[in-house]
Amino acid sequence: MTKRTGVFVCHCGKNIAATVDVKKVAQELAKDDGVVFSEDYVYMCSDPGQTAVIDAIKDNNLNGMVISCCSPTLHEKTFRDASELGDLNAFQCEIANIREQCAWVHKDMEVATEKALKITRASVRRVQHNQALEPIGVPVTRRAMVVGAGIAGIQAALDLTDAGLDVVLVEKQATIGGNMLKLSETFPTLDCSQCILSPKMVSVSKNSKITLMTESEVESISGFVGNFKVKIKKKAEFVDPELCKLCDDCTPVCPVAVPNEYDVGLTNRRAIHIPFAQAIPASFTLDEEACLGLNPVVCGKCEEVCDVGAIDYDKKPTVTEEDIGAIIVSTGFDLYGMEHMGEFGGGRYPDVLDGLQFERLCSASGATEGHIMRPSDHKVPKEIVFIQCSGSRDPENHCAYCSKICCMYTAKHATLYKHHVPDGQAYIFYIDIRSGGKGYEEFVQRSMENDGVIYLRGRVSRVYEKDGKLRVMGVDTLAGRNVEIDADMVVLAQAMEPSKGTAEIAKILKIARDKDGFLAEAHPKLKPVESVTAGIYLAGAAQGPKDIPETVSQAGAAASKVIALLSKDQLAHSPMVAKVRDPYCTGCEMCVDACPYDAITLVDGKASVNEVLCEGCGSCVGVCVRAAIDVKNVTQLQIHEMISAIMA
Amino acid sequence: MVNVEEIRDYAAGLLEKGEVKSVLGFRRGSASAFAEPCTITNVGEAASLVWDPTCLNNLALYLVKDRKQQAVSKTPDTRPVGIVAKGCDSRAIGVLLQENYFKREDVVVIGVSCEGTGVVDPRKLSAKLKGRTASRVTFAVQGSTSVAGGRTPGATDGADGINVSVYGDETETVIPAREVLADRCLECRAAAPALNDVVFGNTVEARDFNEPFHAAKEAERLSEDERWATWERHFDRCLRCFACRAVCPMCYCPECVVDSTTFVVTLGTSAEEKANRIRWCERSANTSESAVYHLTRAIHLAGRCIDCGECERVCPVNIPLRLLNTKLEKEAFEMFEYQAGHDIEQASLLSSFRDEDPNSFIR
Ligand SMILES: Cc1cc2nc3c(=O)[nH]c(=O)nc-3n(C[C@H](O)[C@H](O)[C@H](O)COP(=O)(O)OP(=O)(O)OC[C@H]3O[C@@H](n4cnc5c(N)ncnc54)[C@H](O)[C@@H]3O)c2cc1C
Ligand code: SF4
Ligand code: SF4
Ligand code: SF4
Repeated sequence: MTKRTGVFVCHCGKNIAATVDVKKVAQELAKDDGVVFSEDYVYMCSDPGQTAVIDAIKDNNLNGMVISCCSPTLHEKTFRDASELGDLNAFQCEIANIREQCAWVHKDMEVATEKALKITRASVRRVQHNQALEPIGVPVTRRAMVVGAGIAGIQAALDLTDAGLDVVLVEKQATIGGNMLKLSETFPTLDCSQCILSPKMVSVSKNSKITLMTESEVESISGFVGNFKVKIKKKAEFVDPELCKLCDDCTPVCPVAVPNEYDVGLTNRRAIHIPFAQAIPASFTLDEEACLGLNPVVCGKCEEVCDVGAIDYDKKPTVTEEDIGAIIVSTGFDLYGMEHMGEFGGGRYPDVLDGLQFERLCSASGATEGHIMRPSDHKVPKEIVFIQCSGSRDPENHCAYCSKICCMYTAKHATLYKHHVPDGQAYIFYIDIRSGGKGYEEFVQRSMENDGVIYLRGRVSRVYEKDGKLRVMGVDTLAGRNVEIDADMVVLAQAMEPSKGTAEIAKILKIARDKDGFLAEAHPKLKPVESVTAGIYLAGAAQGPKDIPETVSQAGAAASKVIALLSKDQLAHSPMVAKVRDPYCTGCEMCVDACPYDAITLVDGKASVNEVLCEGCGSCVGVCVRAAIDVKNVTQLQIHEMISAIMA
Repeated sequence: MVNVEEIRDYAAGLLEKGEVKSVLGFRRGSASAFAEPCTITNVGEAASLVWDPTCLNNLALYLVKDRKQQAVSKTPDTRPVGIVAKGCDSRAIGVLLQENYFKREDVVVIGVSCEGTGVVDPRKLSAKLKGRTASRVTFAVQGSTSVAGGRTPGATDGADGINVSVYGDETETVIPAREVLADRCLECRAAAPALNDVVFGNTVEARDFNEPFHAAKEAERLSEDERWATWERHFDRCLRCFACRAVCPMCYCPECVVDSTTFVVTLGTSAEEKANRIRWCERSANTSESAVYHLTRAIHLAGRCIDCGECERVCPVNIPLRLLNTKLEKEAFEMFEYQAGHDIEQASLLSSFRDEDPNSFIR
């Protein structure tokens, strides 16, 4: 078939045109073999730009076209849709990226133009070998899974059920709620955290569309968007939640005491325990690691006292497989370990606390029933120092990023402190105050003005114990002097980091993490809740430090993406999948091992690709020494053509 | 010490019981002291089998040949084949099995341990003999003859020297193994065939001739410029006779991506496909095309080359091809603890990824 290729070079306003001579690119390409139309336009993606594309396809009877513009992640879909409107198969349209990969990274117009020309020419040579392809239709499982039941996961699950979807909610801990459970009051309105969270937790437990799986983790996943198969492992359920009547006869007899996670180690709990009074599911639970051996010979005391016979030491972990259409990952955060903050006495002195421990001290449900006192001697601290950015914004020693919420919660802590200890004095060491957000700046101002909090701009070099006090050695850079404070308590606004196990869950789900270990969104601006893997979405602090309002918004956004996805009867799967060239395949199975999606099997000694599973990643192409497998429209011939065009 | 009679009896037994259609082994060569490959199909021929330090060839190549013949035959003989295999040869069979080229039950591996020595390098031997031709080359037995030049350190069972007689002077001289062994034998890490149905000779662990990858490590000492200049000189004289590919048991692909004359054409091959064949490199023997050929071949053998040294041995213009391949094997070993042909259950080097692997960017 004679090639009738069209080329459209975009100025992107000045984005491209400032560094690339777009007219020249269009004119030069007009001379290339098979190119029957080549023009530049100021904004290809605008309505007139797209109309020009559609008209050009029809007027010139194009059978292939290249749009030389920005990254295909932005507008490949736009132009493929336009292509279809012009009656040209979407897969006969390719994008040549001359913005991110050329204009933006160069200064010299001459060389940038030369490069843009080569990039575009390579795409022209490629598209001239493209096949017309039709998307592969696949059925959808109208069921979602949410991993991690903090406020993000809870909100997402509730939103999904509102749209009529069934949800499997998987939580690692014995209760849902996540870190928000530990908070006392929440900025900027100071409403009590439990009061706003508990009703949502109860809604989860009462919702028949939610299958709640606590003490559970995702073990493995196979399949693809719309049709995942997920194996979920649930720890042995030694206490039957149906039978447990919450009488609390068991804890007094349990001889083991371990730090209570819910109180961030400020109190102890027994091996058999209920995480906290309003836990969902409302049941006692047995901590396998702490228990003396799950063996009646060794202990067995709790089983003896339980009249309803809810305890059974012989229970085994279970693995269930669920059919799932889409997944939201909301595995949350942990605080950066106190042990890293040796210079501030972190992990060394009992009265140096992290933010969550301080929340527990302020909380009515905490060990001190909301009275702020020192863990060491139960005295009320009269001088308290808060250190912001502890472990944040320190690329050399700790986390490079800003944890975003610490300015706000430290202001809240100082305010709460003043409410509890009116005659006390709070000091805050800060680098700068970041209080962007509705009502946030006012909140910080109030803490300074109404509560007399002293803000000291500068870093703390060291905290050490001296005469029963914590001596804080800092600097006030505004006054230009060193500051020494003998404090009764020091609270470190520890950095937020991805929760433990984030790396593992990311690997299991095959989603990416960013440089700091948080789950990576597909595009920082345009796809903030999508992961890089189709059908998997992100919500909450697992994706980056954020506060509750932002977490809840993201959870809603992720849920609405899932709802939109699962509202279709069929999903379109990209037809750019691998294809085996049978005569050359020797059945060595290297591609079978290499394929991350398990899409290849050997059939009669030859590799065979399941097109629905194949993501077109090309891993198989890379390993096949016989060049016996190709991805459609990115064939080795096409790559060879592109290299030749560039090298010419 | 390997007793060749045992090998003969075992081969005869296999043929007699009809367990194999043929046995691949070595027989005395017609031209010199060097043994040559043979295929025996009846019991009587078993007596012609030999075992000595001139059994250079990697016979696994003939398993590939057999398989290719079966593929084109209308009435293929699918009975198993017996094969005499040294440590390196058995690794070749291992890689072929790993790549499903044939099945384990298709082959009976008659393993022979190289014990304390290995095979000789014809070039080294000829230099040692100053141009005279060897008429007989055998493993020296400890105590039988005084070893000229001293004992070979580390050899444990006496097979530590090579007996050589030359034409016109039939007295045996013992040459220390270290001086005439093939480079790969000096660096060998597994002289006894791990994959086998039977092994003759002892497994000798300590063979402190040269450290593994010695030659590659030596070559790495040169600067980048020096290395490039050296390889440019080597590639410059390549004839593109493809002998290295022809002798390599791993180069079994029906179509070689760097040789357009091998392109497979079947009834289903369309004219367009034919026209669109990619020539990643041209066939002409110029330095740059030859460099692409050799580097592509080296990459295609990464994690597959088992260091039988055959490619280097057959090269008519003495290109040290082994260095290219062992360099990659060295990387595979150091970075991924991967050794080609050591474990047939293992996924191939190129197609596997483990959590411990370096280069975390890929995760
Ligand atoms: C000291 C402090 C004070 C704060 N104060 C405020 C405030 O006043 N106002 C405000 O708006 N925000 C505040 N925040 C921020 C708030 O806590 C977070 O925005 C919010 O908790 C994030 O919710 P999340 O659901 O994303 O994560 P999390 O609350 O961390 O929940 C994650 C859940 O996922 C579970 N999980 C983790 N891994 C897995 C896995 N692999 N499988 C299954 N389940 C898993 C966890 O067990 C947990 O239940 C504060 C934070 C801190 C540290
Ligand atoms: S890697 Fe290539 S030769 Fe091996 S099975 Fe896959 S397609 Fe066939
Ligand atoms: S392109 Fe190949 S490796 Fe990638 S998903 Fe498809 S079959 Fe698997
Ligand atoms: S590349 Fe050379 S040394 Fe390696 S297996 Fe092939 S012939 Fe043997």
